[in-house]
Amino acid sequence: MPATPSTSAPPSSSAEAMRGSAAVAGIGESTYYRRGDSPHTEFQLACIAIRRAVEDAGLALADVDGFVSYTDQRNVPVRLARALGLKELRWTGIPWAGGGNSMAAAVQVADAAVTSGHARHVVVFRALAQGQFGRFGQAGGPGGIGASMAGPLAWNATYGILTPAHQCALHTARFMHDHGISQEALCEIALACYANAQRNPRALRHGEPLTRAAYHAARWIVKPFHLYDCCPENDGAAAAVVTTTERARDLPGRPALIVAAASGIGPPFGTFSGATLGSAHYRQVGKHLWEQAGCGPQDVDVTQVYENFTGPVLMALCEMGFAPPDGIEEFVSGGRLVGPDAAFPFNTSGGNIGEAYIHGFEMINESVRQIRGESTCQVKRVERALVVAGPGYSPGSAVLFGAPA
Amino acid sequence: MKRVLGDGWPVPMLDAHNREFFTAGVLTLQRCRACGHVQHPPEDVCEACQSFDLGGFASAGDGRIESVAVVTHAIHPALADRVPYAIALISVADAPGILVAGNVVGKEPDAVRIGDRVRVVFEEAKSARTGEELRIPQWEVVGE
Repeated sequence: MPATPSTSAPPSSSAEAMRGSAAVAGIGESTYYRRGDSPHTEFQLACIAIRRAVEDAGLALADVDGFVSYTDQRNVPVRLARALGLKELRWTGIPWAGGGNSMAAAVQVADAAVTSGHARHVVVFRALAQGQFGRFGQAGGPGGIGASMAGPLAWNATYGILTPAHQCALHTARFMHDHGISQEALCEIALACYANAQRNPRALRHGEPLTRAAYHAARWIVKPFHLYDCCPENDGAAAAVVTTTERARDLPGRPALIVAAASGIGPPFGTFSGATLGSAHYRQVGKHLWEQAGCGPQDVDVTQVYENFTGPVLMALCEMGFAPPDGIEEFVSGGRLVGPDAAFPFNTSGGNIGEAYIHGFEMINESVRQIRGESTCQVKRVERALVVAGPGYSPGSAVLFGAPA
Repeated sequence: MKRVLGDGWPVPMLDAHNREFFTAGVLTLQRCRACGHVQHPPEDVCEACQSFDLGGFASAGDGRIESVAVVTHAIHPALADRVPYAIALISVADAPGILVAGNVVGKEPDAVRIGDRVRVVFEEAKSARTGEELRIPQWEVVGE
């Protein structure tokens, strides 16, 4: 059973104090667009998603007193507070480094803010309009390489190692080599995302099913990644309102409790090192998440894993404890990931590949929908919904949502 | 040797951390003068003993391919006639624990395998900005 917050008796430990003390009370998103197709600016997209999340929670914009996002978010809190007419701003936060690997850590930062009483209603969000600002995944990030072959970039870009696809391919190639994993295992991840997106009208790939033959026939981007191993780049925004579970109970909707949240990395630190090659850097995240949650991978009813690329999903699933590396291909094969009745319900909205690449935040909203019973690929009796943020970069993060008692 | 990614491909901007690596003409890694620890990429501080007293270490330049991927989609216009090219992470025999990134020559990109033995070779280039002569480490397959 999911942990429930104790509002009267003092908690027995700090982990106990955190478990389920905060919840997502509302979610919202803009329409999702193909890259460059948004009729709105990125800031307007952020405002749309935030307004809808606040309305969904049954709150007013004036109730919001904090903002959290992650990784180079351009839509800064003071600008949002002004545009949205907040009464006051009491909490801003952004987990450091990487990209979508901080997506669940952002929820953790919001949880910390409301649990500790620093703020009451914190909006966690992500907005991107790559048509407006250039492609996140473009060589060297927005702006391209140009004069920027400096500092850390020099070690890789000099050799044409330019994008997350290249870096994740190097991890994936080693993982496949070490554990005898075939291209079909990567294909299964892409197929599941596309199949689940066919049930989701919000999904950009809705109406565009993918077949195994089409996957294999597609051009290579960087071997071992075909075109369909790589998520598209999109425009859109998504947001969630985090408050205490106690406050959330007085709101009209069904809250999704934040049962556990973990982020970080153990040594060695960094994207490439001898000891972590072929890794998604999620062993420590998994250890802390399950310790905090008081349960294990076998207790999860539905899982979303950030798939900017298919390969690192396999590593993340192993490191989170779902299967050993030598058994991961079998774990994902034979349609075991597809649909609401899947043996392992996975990326039920379509994820970054099928729904939209909102740097994984669409997965936070999908998990809340699963807890509420409102997914377009609804798994039966969801008590716990897991989100694993971007694998392959560090520090990683994950959040486990639970149904209220 | 000529540059794997072509003479038009930007060269690294030299700084205190990377100057020796990209100019020495021998594989030069960072080693702590206090404790002897070798780390890569270089840092301001020794990760083993926190000393600031860091110097260079001339490696013999023998390595092993620890991972390899083949880039087929040119992400930048300057690479359009350079794909496919192999990107790799190499472990260095006399500096255990670190990985160095590079391209692989002496074999078709698709034929490069994890476990291949490689030896450092150097691309010649010149910084258009500062006029400095560069010797950029690359890796040639010498055995399987």
